[in-house]
Amino acid sequence: MSEPSAGLASDKPEPWGSGGGAKAPTGFPAIRLPLIEAIWRARGDVPLDPSLTNEEVFARLDPLLRTPGTTIVTEGEALIYAKDNPAAQDKLATFTRGRMWIERAGQGAVLRFDLFSHALLLCFLAPLLFLGFAQMAVAINDWEAASGAATEEKKEDDKPKPVKKLNPVDEFLGAPAPEDPNKKKDEKKDEGRHSPIEGYVLAGIFFVIYLVGRWLEPWLARRRLRAALAAPPPA
Amino acid sequence: MTGTQAGAGTQVGKRIIGADAPVIVGWENIGKVEGGPIKQFVFTWFQPVMLIAAILFWYYAPNWLAVASTAIAIRLGWMVLLLGLEWVNPRYESWQLTWKEFATDAFYVALGMTFLRMVDAYIGDGAIIAAVQGAFDWSKFSWFTGLPLLLQAILISMIFDFGQYWMHRGMHNWHPLWLVHAPHHYITQLNINKGAVGNPIELFLIGLGIGGLFDFLPRAFLLAGAIGMTVAVYQHINVRFNTPRWWRYVFNTVEHHSVHHSQDYEATRSNYSGTWIIWDRIFGTCVDGEAELLGMEGGRRMHIGETMVFPFREGWRDAKAAWARRFGSDRAKGAAVATPQLEPAE
Repeated sequence: MSEPSAGLASDKPEPWGSGGGAKAPTGFPAIRLPLIEAIWRARGDVPLDPSLTNEEVFARLDPLLRTPGTTIVTEGEALIYAKDNPAAQDKLATFTRGRMWIERAGQGAVLRFDLFSHALLLCFLAPLLFLGFAQMAVAINDWEAASGAATEEKKEDDKPKPVKKLNPVDEFLGAPAPEDPNKKKDEKKDEGRHSPIEGYVLAGIFFVIYLVGRWLEPWLARRRLRAALAAPPPA
Repeated sequence: MTGTQAGAGTQVGKRIIGADAPVIVGWENIGKVEGGPIKQFVFTWFQPVMLIAAILFWYYAPNWLAVASTAIAIRLGWMVLLLGLEWVNPRYESWQLTWKEFATDAFYVALGMTFLRMVDAYIGDGAIIAAVQGAFDWSKFSWFTGLPLLLQAILISMIFDFGQYWMHRGMHNWHPLWLVHAPHHYITQLNINKGAVGNPIELFLIGLGIGGLFDFLPRAFLLAGAIGMTVAVYQHINVRFNTPRWWRYVFNTVEHHSVHHSQDYEATRSNYSGTWIIWDRIFGTCVDGEAELLGMEGGRRMHIGETMVFPFREGWRDAKAAWARRFGSDRAKGAAVATPQLEPAE
């Protein structure tokens, strides 16, 4: 994966500009944070048959891109698309904006792509939300413990509870008898009404989902572009 | 139930199902498992065998094992297994899970396990029941605990589902409730986690149950959970099964639920129950069949942000329009009438 040459890039609007193609205002340096941007951007290239003209290449990509809710514009040498909440089965649903252009050097040619994903960005941020919920659970527990509401509730059950028995049918079939409700209790510490564990676990799960998506989705996008370019579009 | 062809759509009772969008009506017309004898065998018997296995496990598990944390661990493994089945034998290619769909669904599931659960602790059915129980002497229901365990479990499951049936039917027939339920009908494909997709208010309402009013043995609740896990879970699954006739007569299936989620308006006014389709048969809302094309507005996907605000946004618009109709000037009244109303997909 390599960056587009400076000359080419300066002609092309950034895919994440307004309307899918606004240039950064002149005199205002575009902010480039390659490491951070890698969270939501996927860049790469696909080798091309050099005998194909630019129009032919974009015609082959057309069936892949022309899906409901997608706007496509050609600006100079580049093709820019933007998707508005694409359908679940849209092959490029994860990448809601993108720019593609052709680079020729000597005998060879490549299609370069630079794709932007809201989904990857939000998935990257999702763990923060669930860590927040976990912290909220801890805070509410502390607050309730301090206000003493939880402890008062516990007191009322001093009278012994009736021991429940199984139906004779279940006794005959050998189901374990219910526990005596008066026995246990003591070992259970009062840890509060809410558990933060789910929040922590889910934050971890979303981080894993992000890592899988960050690897899988660019790989799939590249594979789909390659497949689309390999054959002429259906008549 | 078999329907008679009536031009566009199929007549079922007094209704025409499938006039707006394709719906297959009648068991004889639905798809079958394709493949060799082993695949046929597995996808014919998987559902009943798993139901019996789950019942046997919770019936005989010793007390130290028969606890909620075991149920959570089993459920997690179960979900992974079902995702595997969706991968191996999808019902429709057009419902195939993608990374983005999975991540989106996971968000709703996670929201249910964290934020919604916290809210539930204060205003959920547990809190309501505790308040009501203080007002009456519910001990007269304690004879329930003397019933055979399996009967208790079936009662818990059927009572809960009965409540869910009417809540769900209410959502399709009363506009304010419809507004909170509508986002769930914007799903365009079914996968096992799609049950969690929707506005949090709806997920809260549909989770309200009255089962907690009655006294049952803890093991009976776990058994009822096992029935839910091995029956209700299939309503959103993207797996092609040759479901046994007796099963689909008694239980809700993905076939029934896909009809309910169809883009066809009349079809969505059917199959309201979660586990026991028998409630729909009793109350005259059952349509046996299946559908592939799902959703609202021709299959527009609703993203998470819109799902969260939809009931409030639409409610505000409707309230404004209603106000204009009642108290506004003649011009405002005309504009309010002309405003397209969100049609309940009842």
